[in-house]
Order: sequence, then structure tokens, then C-alpha cells
Amino acid sequence: MIASGIVETDSPEEFIEEIEKSQDVLPRKIDANPKNVEKGLAKLVLTLIELIRKLLEKQAMRRVEAGSLSEDEIERVGETLIKLENKMNELKQIFGLKDEELNLNLGPLGELM
Amino acid sequence: MKLYLYGIINSSDQIKESIYGLEGSGVYNIPLCDIGAVVSEISQPIRGVTKGAVLEHEAVVEKLMENFTILPVRFQTIIDGRDNLLSMMQSYYKDFKDNLERLHNKLEFGIKVIWPADKVKENIIKALKKGGQRMPESDSSVSKRFIKEKFEKYEIDKEFEAKADRFIKVMDIFFSKFAAEKKLGKLKTENLLLDAVYLVEKDRQNDFREAFEHIKNAHTGLKYLFSGPWPPYNFVVLSKKSGLLRDSEQADLFDKVTQCQTLVGADSI
Amino acid sequence: MDSVITKSKDVTLLEILDRVLDKGVVVSGDMVISVADVDLIYLGLKVLLSSVETMEKLRGSPFIGPTQEPT
Repeated sequence: MIASGIVETDSPEEFIEEIEKSQDVLPRKIDANPKNVEKGLAKLVLTLIELIRKLLEKQAMRRVEAGSLSEDEIERVGETLIKLENKMNELKQIFGLKDEELNLNLGPLGELM
Repeated sequence: MKLYLYGIINSSDQIKESIYGLEGSGVYNIPLCDIGAVVSEISQPIRGVTKGAVLEHEAVVEKLMENFTILPVRFQTIIDGRDNLLSMMQSYYKDFKDNLERLHNKLEFGIKVIWPADKVKENIIKALKKGGQRMPESDSSVSKRFIKEKFEKYEIDKEFEAKADRFIKVMDIFFSKFAAEKKLGKLKTENLLLDAVYLVEKDRQNDFREAFEHIKNAHTGLKYLFSGPWPPYNFVVLSKKSGLLRDSEQADLFDKVTQCQTLVGADSI
Repeated sequence: MDSVITKSKDVTLLEILDRVLDKGVVVSGDMVISVADVDLIYLGLKVLLSSVETMEKLRGSPFIGPTQEPT
């Protein structure tokens, strides 16, 4: 017996691509192979750190938008954000992880971003 | 005996049709009071998620959907023995009953929409440039330029999301007319503008389909995906996360269930 | 305007997978002896931190070698 759930679209490839991207919420399974455990855990941890970094960046942007930062504060916030971004890039390199792998799909929580 | 569980149905009757599930085993109903758990016996542990098994599982659920209201169960749920199954049914009884009533005569449909994110952003950038820049040009420090760049990106993203919201609202107003419930996923990826599921009454499914066709023809720059009818996967709401009941709850439920069992027993004599 | 309707097996499979793996009734407890290939995170961080030995108690996990019958 074959499932007959009908799926209709004139662009199946595009939808396959987007659906697969959207399903990468968190690493789908943690590979228990000792060689890969480290990378799996790194992915998880860095995804969360990346989330925090993005939240901080967004907060800063809201302050800039509201005009509530002094010139000096803008300077210092900029400096810190640069450092954070550089650190993340470093960590990504060390663990051989790409941006797409660290993208956290928050679903409804994404509204909070 | 290991029981592979497909779904919970609103009936304590035996399944009249011959339906075969995983391992080619016959599918049957294990009743509790006025509901039932549809299972088949399974001997081998399932090794991962295979296409064959998934399709077999889904086929069983869809077949049952023809004659029953069914709460589809997650793939690869295997219960260790009939007693455990009945015990699980007992503790979830109220949840199952509530869901079966709420979802009776309703079908799930999925609508996904893709839009050209790059083009949308291009247009936004053009519009923002016309509007002039917010940040003063005189910045020379690396930090300030960094902030400026980030801010420009922030403004683009913000408008991008606002546009998405507007689009989705227009579509959703149309679809919602024929839907009892819905779940909207907005911008799951940049291009996946909408990933929505709607719960539609059986009698209104044609109207719903027409609404979809209308939107599709009205907004031709987008790509569409329509799926269904599905069993109501996305609309099952369980208040109980685990199968454990507190003692007092257990006692109450047992009373209700035994009363029900007695009634059912009397009817079938 | 006619659109090509494609019952594309792959996109159909993706839609089915999204539903049967992540949605619907999820029951948990000691009597459930098999769980689908889903995010181990959903089973709690204790699984993440547990040893491979403990992980082997989960039946049907595809990344563990041949499974054994429960005693």
C-alpha cells in the first residue's frame, strides 16, 4: 500500500530545497561515533552562542534606530560586536562549521528576534 | 508482544477491512471504552527511518481516515505489550477523547508559498536609497562603519519581514474563511514565505481549494505548493506530556473508564 | 492558466516525513520501546550527555550498530 497524501506543486525542486533548509532546526541527531561527537557538540554549542550573538546585535540595532546611543557608545558597541563576530568566525573555522549549519530555526520563538 | 501503533480512533469496533501495515502484519483495533488504538504486531526492531516503512505507516493512517476520526501517532511508536498499551490509553483517555471530538470530520491541508527573496530585497534597497540615509556619512572609525553596515542590513531585514507579514495576511484572510484552525509558519527560510497548515471541515474542502486557486491566480510571481487532505497531524494537542498520572487522577479516571467498560460490556451481550 | 501538477515522490516524501516524524500523538514512557529518528535533544539533554552505552538502550537508533532484543 502506498500513501496517497496528495502533494501538488509546479515547482517541486524549489520546495524540496526550501523544505530541507527549514527542517534543519538543530543538528538532527548527535552522531555517537567518538570521532564525530566533538563536532556534533560543537555545532550545538556554537548554534546557541550564535543565537545570543545575533540577539545582542539586534538589540544594538534597535538602540541605534531609537537614537538612544551616544557617539561614544556607538563606537564601543561597534568594537564589541566586531570582536564577537571575529571570535565566532574563529570558532567556526576551528570546528570546520559553516554558517548554514549554525542557523537556528526558532519557529514561533523567532518572533522574539 | 510488541505492538506498532498507528493511531487512535473514535471507535471500539473491530476494523472490517483488511489493512496491512509494517512487516505485512494485519492491522487491528484494541479498544478501550469508546476509543481504540490501531496496531499491528511487529517482531523486528525498526532500523532507522526507511522510506518503505514511512510510506507503509502513512498508508495505514490514511486508510483509517476514510472511516474513522483518527489521531495519527508518531512514526515508530512501539508499545511493549497489550497491558502497557491499555494503561497508556487509560492515562491519555481524556486527551484522546477531547482531540477526537475536536477533530471529527476535519481534514488538514498544507499550503506553502515561495517568493523571490533576492528580488524583494533589491526592491527594498532601491526604496530605502531613495528615502535617504539615516546615519551621518562622516564616520571614519572601523567600529562606526561596522555599525552603519549592520544597521543598513537591519533596516532591510525589517522591511523584508514587514512585507512578508503583509503578503501572508492577505492570503491568510482568504484561506481562514473556510478553516476551523490554522498554524502559520512565516519565513522559515528567506524564500519560504509561508508554510501553513489549515484544519478544514470535510464539507468545506472544495471551498478551501477554490480559495487557494484564487490566490494562486491572483499572485502569479510566487510559487505554490498545496497538499492534503492529511490526517490532522498538526492539530493534535496533548495536555499530558508523559504517560504518568498522579494517584488521585488515576483513581478518577479508573472510575470513569470502568463505568464506561461496564456500559460497553452490557451493550455487546 | 494551467499549472503542471506533479505528484513528485520526493516532495511528497518530505511532506510525509515532516508529519510522521515530528507531529501527531507522541507518547513517552517506559513502555515505549522505540522512538523515531528525531532530534535527540527532544529526549532531554541527559541523553546528549549520557555515555554511548546508555544510548544503546534506545531501540532502533540508526547510528547504533545492530540492535538487540530486549531481555
